[in-house]
Amino acid sequence: MFQQFLVVAGLSSATYMLTALGFTLIFGIMRVVNFAHGEFLLIGAYTVFVAQHVLGLDYMIALPLAALVAGGFGILAERLLFRRFTGDEIGGMIVALALAITIKGAVTVIWGVDSQPIDRPFSGSFEIAGVFIPRDQLFAAVVALVMVVVTWWLLNHTRLGLAMRAVAQSPEVARLQGIAPWKTYPVAFAIGCALAGLAGALAAPIYGAEPNMGDAALMKAFIVVVLGGLGSIPGALIAAVLLASIEAGISILFNATIAALVSFLAVIVVLLVKPAGIMGRS
Amino acid sequence: MAFIINRRTTLAALTASALAFSAGLSYAQDVLKIGALGPLTGAGAAWGLGIDGGVKIAAAEVNARGGLKVGDTTYTLEVVSYDDQYKAAEAVTAINRLMGPDDVRFVFGPIGSASLLAIKPLTEREGVLLFTGAWAADVLKDSGYIFRVGPTTQEFAPSTVAWLKETKPELKRVATIAANDETGWNSQKIQVAAYTAGGFEVVSTEFFERSQNDFRAMLTKILAQNPDTIELDTVPPRTAGLMIRQARELGYQGAFTKFGGYDVEEIVKAAGAEYAEGVVGTTMAAPATETWNRLGEEFGKLHKAEMNDYVVMYYDAANLLFSSIEKAGMLDSDAVVAALEANAPFDGSVGTLTWGGGEAYGVDHQIYRSVVMVEIQGGKGVVIGEAKLN
Repeated sequence: MFQQFLVVAGLSSATYMLTALGFTLIFGIMRVVNFAHGEFLLIGAYTVFVAQHVLGLDYMIALPLAALVAGGFGILAERLLFRRFTGDEIGGMIVALALAITIKGAVTVIWGVDSQPIDRPFSGSFEIAGVFIPRDQLFAAVVALVMVVVTWWLLNHTRLGLAMRAVAQSPEVARLQGIAPWKTYPVAFAIGCALAGLAGALAAPIYGAEPNMGDAALMKAFIVVVLGGLGSIPGALIAAVLLASIEAGISILFNATIAALVSFLAVIVVLLVKPAGIMGRS
Repeated sequence: MAFIINRRTTLAALTASALAFSAGLSYAQDVLKIGALGPLTGAGAAWGLGIDGGVKIAAAEVNARGGLKVGDTTYTLEVVSYDDQYKAAEAVTAINRLMGPDDVRFVFGPIGSASLLAIKPLTEREGVLLFTGAWAADVLKDSGYIFRVGPTTQEFAPSTVAWLKETKPELKRVATIAANDETGWNSQKIQVAAYTAGGFEVVSTEFFERSQNDFRAMLTKILAQNPDTIELDTVPPRTAGLMIRQARELGYQGAFTKFGGYDVEEIVKAAGAEYAEGVVGTTMAAPATETWNRLGEEFGKLHKAEMNDYVVMYYDAANLLFSSIEKAGMLDSDAVVAALEANAPFDGSVGTLTWGGGEAYGVDHQIYRSVVMVEIQGGKGVVIGEAKLN
């Protein structure tokens, strides 16, 4: 059972990392708590559905397309809505919430409340020494990890990443250095939303696409990011593994309700002991 | 400017009032509002939309033949629906609006036991009739105005367990899964008692949160107990499908039963036809019959959701109510209750409806109708038998 626990926890942590990454990126650079993050996940999932069933595309093409579409919506959202709320955390949260409700409502009106069928590229599991590794979850975890590495590389080894980190540290000083924050924000937002869209596209064949799928994802992202420190990427990665392990472990030992309780208790404890999160800067 | 009262203005005022008055009188028919309350979004939406659809189809048919004749008055039926999202708090808000501003005396729904038990004190006090699908035992106990539209685990569990024992004697160890709320606690308790009495060994009883869609940790725990069969009980169909798939991917090769709320399409969509093969469940109406197809077509005009047996159950319950109101000749709650009780056996769309439940609940307000057993074969539901009711 322990080895199966490792598989369950490991595969879950990869998807948590991906979902939390976009969320913490947007906050770190724009100081916007994107409560619509779950809905960009939703956009990614439904893009896969439309790509498969309306355009007849293969899943492997639908996947990057979903990220692009979600990123595109992200740019639109940043330009039209969030631009005027950078720095205003409360205002940003409220407009994000409104956007979330609007997107979810639109999806429900267009496609209804039922879960949409997604063609699954993978089925079945690998069995290694009595431990089962579901193929679809493994694929999702691998893609998630690759994207985490790509994002890390982008932030630390490119000029764009340097610009984003500069703006995150201090927008005013960045401007003095010739970096235009209003050119960096849309890119950061687009990347954050693209990552969310990708997470949704990866989740769609495993769990189906339905209008409420963003809610639980947002909750997980929130916990991970708060635990790890708002704006800290290494923190988010560590917290993702931590949350996935707590959830899997407690669920196997007891049940999911107690697991949820413990994970929220962990949040409380961390916030009491280290309010900025495990690796956050206050 | 002072208001001048003279012959001209008085005449104008009188004419205006007369016109307004006659406009009110020339309105053809009184409207009787009927309430529908259930999960219209989220998990369980298929069932909630089934309530809404079934009642609306029945009401439209009544309106098409001229309206509901109650004594000397004929009413046009209007259905007012609210979404309780399977949550008690939302149900309370909705019922207050239904009983208050909407002035509704007859409500179809809710489905969630938590919702029902939350609104029960309010509706019982006001004498508002509820036609619920909620499965908890306490739903009907100590009530005068609550009616349950379809048999529950309490009514058919002994029969389904006996059927399983007889047709698949190799299955001995059973695990049960249910949602962590009133509905799930209740149905799982009855299932465990029925399986134990039926000679099975219950090796695992697990609860899940309705917001979950990943059950691998829970299934790892269950599979460590080596069950031969897993009872999916009142798990919503889509969630059940996910559980089936995730269990199979964890290496589970045993049987699945779903004796408590079925929807073949939803399960096959979520689990995949291959993994869903052989799953047996109970449903209140056999799929692909003439009635099913006719109601399914009407339902399709109202909602973008899959046709399911809740449409049939609530279509029948609505027709039963409308017929009883006409027989009572008045809208008074107690008179309608008496008319309902006397209106049996009633010709439902796929069979006869009678009353039962007196022994278990103290009142005969449980609709008894045939419970069909359906097995998933090749991605489609095939009727394989009928469950007998207590």
